[in-house]
Amino acid sequence: MINSVRNTVLSILNKNNYGYISPADFNLYAKQAQLDIFEDYFYQYNYQLNKENVGTSGTGYADITKGYEEVINIFSETKFLAHQFNNKFFTPSPITTNDNYYLLNKVLAYTRLLASGVNSAVTPGQLDDLVSADFVADGVQVGDIVANTTTGQVAFVGQVINSQELELINEDGTVADIFTASPEGYAIYDDAIVNEAEKVTQSKITMLNNSMLTAPSTLFPAYTQQEPLLTLFPASINTVGAVQCQYIRYPFDPKWTYVNLVGGEPAFDQSQPDFQDFELSISDEPTLVLKILQYAGMSIREVAAVQFGQALEAKEDQDEK
Amino acid sequence: MPYISQYQYYENGGNQPENANWGSYQYVSLYDIVNNFMLMYSGNHSLVNNEERYKVLFHAKRGIQELNYDAFKEIKILQLTVCNTLRYVLPSDYVNWVRISMHKDGLLFPLTENIQTNWSSAYLQDNDCRILFDHTGEALSPQYSELDFDRITGGEKSIYLNSNSPFDGMMGYCCDGYWYFDYRIGARYGLNTETANANPTFSIDKKAGVINFSSHVANESIVLEYVSDGMENGDISSITVNKLFEEYIYAYIEYAILNSKKGVQEYIVARARKRKSALLRNAKIRISNIHPGRLLMNMRGKDKWLK
Repeated sequence: MINSVRNTVLSILNKNNYGYISPADFNLYAKQAQLDIFEDYFYQYNYQLNKENVGTSGTGYADITKGYEEVINIFSETKFLAHQFNNKFFTPSPITTNDNYYLLNKVLAYTRLLASGVNSAVTPGQLDDLVSADFVADGVQVGDIVANTTTGQVAFVGQVINSQELELINEDGTVADIFTASPEGYAIYDDAIVNEAEKVTQSKITMLNNSMLTAPSTLFPAYTQQEPLLTLFPASINTVGAVQCQYIRYPFDPKWTYVNLVGGEPAFDQSQPDFQDFELSISDEPTLVLKILQYAGMSIREVAAVQFGQALEAKEDQDEK
Repeated sequence: MPYISQYQYYENGGNQPENANWGSYQYVSLYDIVNNFMLMYSGNHSLVNNEERYKVLFHAKRGIQELNYDAFKEIKILQLTVCNTLRYVLPSDYVNWVRISMHKDGLLFPLTENIQTNWSSAYLQDNDCRILFDHTGEALSPQYSELDFDRITGGEKSIYLNSNSPFDGMMGYCCDGYWYFDYRIGARYGLNTETANANPTFSIDKKAGVINFSSHVANESIVLEYVSDGMENGDISSITVNKLFEEYIYAYIEYAILNSKKGVQEYIVARARKRKSALLRNAKIRISNIHPGRLLMNMRGKDKWLK
């Protein structure tokens, strides 16, 4: 989509030889435009919900809310959070989860520890505890969560080979090689016993913890947020693999890439390792073009291009109400 | 909470305790209630929206507590032997008593709450009746007040017609090992029915957390029937509600939240209140289990002649 957007923008801009924008400038404007549209999804979603509540929204093909949910879900990620110490876990970040989060939608706590210990041998794609484990008696089953408490990596049980060996897989079913040395600690959580932790403000958490009736428990856990950490309550939620987060990440920065100049023009090449297309839905392409056009118009001091972009975007907004 | 197999129900899947799931189908857990409420009664298109889960949890627990006090009719019973101190420490989850009986000779003798006090605290006093203090300025107390001492040692007289009654030892007649008195010679004209009970009596010291018994209860077995608040000593996973009250609890939570929320129209609050009250009435009628089969034995006595 990014090449199509760029070509359209250049086509409009170059009309009457108004000007030209470089790939680097285009990438900057593209990032701003994408973020602008991305954030607008949430306001539009809320607007549509309010319309539903007053009965001015339809169902089926007229269910606009559903469409917004779908595009927002493009950016949904569900990942285990990296553990700092005690009951503190890192929020998603490029270092821990390879992305930045826009909002934390749901924090899940796995509270039933089935087994823990240290591995006694290293077999690729397996957890081997030949000394003290009895995974069968502990009730370990396919799908349970296995965390390497030494390295912080997490995988799932793909197969219970025997009472002392487990085959590990990643979420996509590929072999998970998270135990590469011995001894390394492990913790196995029951994937069926999961409860949603509730976000509680810093101003309430002390009173909540002191409350007889509403103190956080493993059935009703809670968390507070103080960047870059989440603090889980009760404090017994304190191991890697115990906390999973579903969040909406920011879209990756778009990057229009090229290899060389052909006839003075950079030739589009999407095979470059740093290539990144827009992540928005195709229906947002016109809005992207119009927004980039406004930034580019300002850049080349062409008021007509800016006004053209603004007028069309305003009309589009109006049509979508 | 998922449905369980018959094997899980009857034998707990081979685990201990075997009776863990017996009767469990009558109840819905607190966890399910909060979860269902958040799912069904809270959200973008519901009256309750943007409310914290801990508030729902709070109101759910409060509702369950209130139901436990009377509507549930779920009585806990604890039997303990009372020693020479004539003291029965209240159970850890005690809220209020229903009935206190003495288990003796294979029979339960219902005891009467003493309309007078039978316990007291006391301070040490000198000959001028001045209170004695320790070096920190606190009043000195004896181990027992005079009242307690007399009761424990059997010297306290009772207005009840038991062995500590002032009438005890006076003229009367003995039948089947028990003494009966028609009146106190020369003075008594009628019976005070409120105190006409031969069984020992008790008085509850709520703050001290004990039931104090009159004399002659030492080494006897006492059965306390009481109500708790259903909080199961803080074990959230064990807190349950009878299914007959499930809908009421949802209605109660909804009402409690709407009632305390700013800007909610009064007619919505009133609607929620009426719904809650109606559901409570229905649930109380249902749980009282009034049906002909139950009334049959009582009704059989309707033609009995009163003499």
